[in-house]
Amino acid sequence: MRCTMMVFASLLAMSGWAVAATPPTKAPAAVKAATPAPQVHVIVVDTMQYGPMPTGVRAGDIIEWVNRGILEHTATARDGRFDLDLKPGASARMKATAGTVEVYCKFHPTMVATLVVK
Amino acid sequence: MKKSLFALAIALAFGTVASVQAQPAPAAATAPATIDDAQIAHIAYTAGQIDVTAAKQALKKSHNKAVLAFAEEMARDHAAVNEQALALCKKLGVTPADNPTSQALAKAAAAEQVKLAALSGDAYDKAYAANEVAFHQTVNQALSGTLIPSARNEELKSLLETGLKLFESHQMHAEHLAQSLK
Repeated sequence: MRCTMMVFASLLAMSGWAVAATPPTKAPAAVKAATPAPQVHVIVVDTMQYGPMPTGVRAGDIIEWVNRGILEHTATARDGRFDLDLKPGASARMKATAGTVEVYCKFHPTMVATLVVK
Repeated sequence: MKKSLFALAIALAFGTVASVQAQPAPAAATAPATIDDAQIAHIAYTAGQIDVTAAKQALKKSHNKAVLAFAEEMARDHAAVNEQALALCKKLGVTPADNPTSQALAKAAAAEQVKLAALSGDAYDKAYAANEVAFHQTVNQALSGTLIPSARNEELKSLLETGLKLFESHQMHAEHLAQSLK
């Protein structure tokens, strides 16, 4: 009996070592890291200003502009790559493209921001 | 910048509010002399309407692209804020109450409209832009110094605070416009 228990304990120990020594399956994670899923970045527009521009935006990510103010605004790229109308309480989405772009409101030229997409 | 007669009249109109606010309460009085929320709502609404009217005149008279864009902004924004103000009054069951300050504002603005109507071209554009700077300066001072501190209802106070932020942006735009027309 004592001998049987020792054999069982040895088997358990060996099995534990075997599990610990098994390398984790890295292949799927490596694939994900290479092509990360698009992230959604929200930019709030309120009281005549754009909220903080998100950092770490990559090309292909989604930018969601949300107008929480009582006035109509736009999110318009100075270089013409996008021009979104934002009625009070409305939101609009767009796909980010690489580059640094100055954004302004067509109705309120004092509203400006700089969006960086890598 | 030399203050125009219009700006002076507007400032005097708001000054009537400030002077009422500044009066010490009589010892026997149970409540200090003050303006109430219904009057504040009326004053704010009247100021907004004045700028919408001025913008509509500019849209008819001016041919300057920058002036027209500014006038469109004023007409759109002040109408939107006034719409919010009316909706809030309805929600609160408050009927905006006419008062000497609103009347003085409207009288000064009407006189200015007549004066501006006689101008044309660059002279009109410059006068309109200068008035917009002075008007927003005075209204913003009245909002921050008198109307917002006097408002009792928190929702009305909040709308006035939002309005102040919007109108500060308008003032900045008006200053840029006036500068560009020199």
